[in-house]
Amino acid sequence: MKRFDLIVIGTGLAGLTAARTAIGIGAKVLIVGRGMGALTLFGNTVDLLGEIPPATEMAEGITHWIAAHPEHPYARTGWEGIESAITAFRELFPPPYPFAASGRGNSLLPTGAGTMRPTWLTPVTMAAGAAMTPSETLIVGFRGFKDFQGDTVSLHLKCRGVVLSLPRYGLEGLTAPALARLMDETSFRERLGESIRQQMAGERFIGLPAVLGLRDPAAVLKTLETVTGARVFEIPMLPPSIPGTRIFHRFREELIAKGADFRMGHPVSGVMVKDGRCAGISIDNPPLVAEYRADRFILATGRFLGGGLWAEMDRIIEPVFDLPVFQPGERGQWFGERFFDPEAHPIHRAGVLTDADLRPVDAAGRVVLANVRAAGSILAHHQAIEEKSREGIDIATGFLAAKRALAS
Amino acid sequence: MTKEEKPAPLAKLPDVCVRCATCMAACPVSRVTPRFPGPKQAGPGAQRFRSAAEASVDDWIELCTGCRLCDTVCPAGVPISEMNMMAKAKYLDERGRTFRDWLLVRSDLFGEMAARYSKIVNPLMKKKAVRWLLAALLRSDRRRALPAYEYPTFRRWFRTRQGPKGRGPEVAYFYGCFTNTNETDVGKAAVELLEAHGLTVVVPPQRCCGIPRLGVGDLRGAREMGRRNVDSLLRTVRGVDIVFSSTSCGLMLRHEYGPLLHLPGAEELARRLFDICEYLLCLHEEGKPAVTFQPIPMKAAYFAPCHLRALDIGLPALELLRLVPGLDVSLIEAECCGLGGLYGFKKEKFAIAEEIGKDLTEAIARMKPDIILTDCEGCRMQIRHLTGLKVLHPVQLLRDALERRGIA
Repeated sequence: MKRFDLIVIGTGLAGLTAARTAIGIGAKVLIVGRGMGALTLFGNTVDLLGEIPPATEMAEGITHWIAAHPEHPYARTGWEGIESAITAFRELFPPPYPFAASGRGNSLLPTGAGTMRPTWLTPVTMAAGAAMTPSETLIVGFRGFKDFQGDTVSLHLKCRGVVLSLPRYGLEGLTAPALARLMDETSFRERLGESIRQQMAGERFIGLPAVLGLRDPAAVLKTLETVTGARVFEIPMLPPSIPGTRIFHRFREELIAKGADFRMGHPVSGVMVKDGRCAGISIDNPPLVAEYRADRFILATGRFLGGGLWAEMDRIIEPVFDLPVFQPGERGQWFGERFFDPEAHPIHRAGVLTDADLRPVDAAGRVVLANVRAAGSILAHHQAIEEKSREGIDIATGFLAAKRALAS
Repeated sequence: MTKEEKPAPLAKLPDVCVRCATCMAACPVSRVTPRFPGPKQAGPGAQRFRSAAEASVDDWIELCTGCRLCDTVCPAGVPISEMNMMAKAKYLDERGRTFRDWLLVRSDLFGEMAARYSKIVNPLMKKKAVRWLLAALLRSDRRRALPAYEYPTFRRWFRTRQGPKGRGPEVAYFYGCFTNTNETDVGKAAVELLEAHGLTVVVPPQRCCGIPRLGVGDLRGAREMGRRNVDSLLRTVRGVDIVFSSTSCGLMLRHEYGPLLHLPGAEELARRLFDICEYLLCLHEEGKPAVTFQPIPMKAAYFAPCHLRALDIGLPALELLRLVPGLDVSLIEAECCGLGGLYGFKKEKFAIAEEIGKDLTEAIARMKPDIILTDCEGCRMQIRHLTGLKVLHPVQLLRDALERRGIA
């Protein structure tokens, strides 16, 4: 049976951030995930709080937000906590593929739905999207690539659009990973750039689905910009997210190089709890159950999509530790009238309540497990979808949870 | 107190799939060819339309290599590769298997014979005319060299060898067919390494684990092979742990005999089965053996085989290799070698295997290693074929590090 300083449960952005932070402090870390985590589902840009108007400076906007939302996960980290966590995140992505903010506040980025969406940090491959103007932009889609409807995007963005047939490929079965892989090939992207150039009518910006390579996206960007003479940007779209996959790969590469241990593909099936502390977890890999022990644990299993929360008919449970879960009333009160209600569905506020140290607490505020901390979207009282705060919460609380865990 | 798993097991149902497409980011096949629709479609997607009473229409199901990477990333716990396997079995049970499939999965039977006459067989297999004939007969691809045979076989070497037999606690060794007849040094290295750790090695009667038969969806054949192995191994090794050096044999023995093939005794066997590096690492972590490795100043690149990742035991070989002073070892950032066992030998699949392997080749080219290390014989064959570089099993290098001597 292996023994670790810290076991992180969850391989999404919060778990990866926690693991990396702990490794940086010199801890022996195991990170376990039932699957690859949710980075391939979102993970395109780093949202801090999209809700703040673009004109507002981010530090100021979040500081005010925290004052008005004392239960929000950001209230645990404060702006300083967010800032240092984001700085650490950015250090993992040095040039040529850096993440940067385009101004002092949110910037608006085109999406695969043809809308403009506020975000904070973007990878270099998306940066030009914040500067584009509809009359100077050409949106390029690919025939047979169902996950990005170029004509819909251009229609909504009021840009000109073209749909290209790709060299070397049939019209069916084109997927984002296949496209990204082709883009990594110099000759392919040169030819693609050339076919785009032939379609241009003086545009200064080119928008493409977010498939500009997995291995060296900056090189893909450079080729396309050189050949077309325009600024090129990726547009986030349906999963599997290629930019999210890049983030996952970068973390995994770094974690393994620094000696972290990974377990992926099987669920945590049991926990060893004694005297208000967790001693170990077991992972179900039929017909075997593997046990791992550690001094501290971080739970970063996400919300409903990641499997961190389960909704039963009348209550919401946390399946790993059976932690107390905050839920907004009875089932009848969980959902708004309309699916796309601009007001968040109340159930989105469900989650694990914690003390200032991110240790889960019960309704009376008593710490449930002294050496367990929660991080990421499993935390209660945020509305990551509507606020547009997902990555910020993941990074800031993952960072804080690891720091606090190892300080104890 | 160990708590049982909270949510009821939903597994095996295609409706557990939430269509998140994370598996599409991991599948090596659908990334290189539009002919395979990918794990989401081929697995749970098509599963909803399959019925035992109706003839299979899954014309592309044979293109699944059975790497199981989809299983390792799925956040919903869908048994994707098992669905594919069952679909492949049904498809081929209905269509019938070719002579090639019949012959290739029996390589364990003619392997012994070929090894005995390897002095004749090996030069013959290099002859153009013979290769042409074999390719025509087996519908294999002439560009892929068939592995050479070695004599004496590992089994014979072990039985007849002089020298240390060890006096410490016993450990049994499952060597696998390829080690026995084609790469005997892997077996010798495994034995020497185990003995250096103070163990006495026993080699129980054993046969092909049966995984080649799973590759052609022959569940009945695989079960038959498995039944004989379980009988023999359990009888011989009650009370003794068994280590394997081939991660594919290991995955089959440990995780397919029980959950997939429902062989009686499989669970008892699985509890005693360990990957050899996993086993040795455990000894090192417990501080038991007094083995110290001598410096090997070299740049090594380690590749984690898909079936090692499906075993979900982390990267024990990489951790052990890091104990060798002077050895600069890093992980190759690539997903799959592409060979897929017998898959890449088949004429109609050769191009797919080559294309998947290209990503690995490029990753290796960027690293410029002196040597490549990987636990799977298939990966070793493929990497030699693609790069022409020296490729060893980690235990071979570890054995060489036991004393100051050149790399074998």
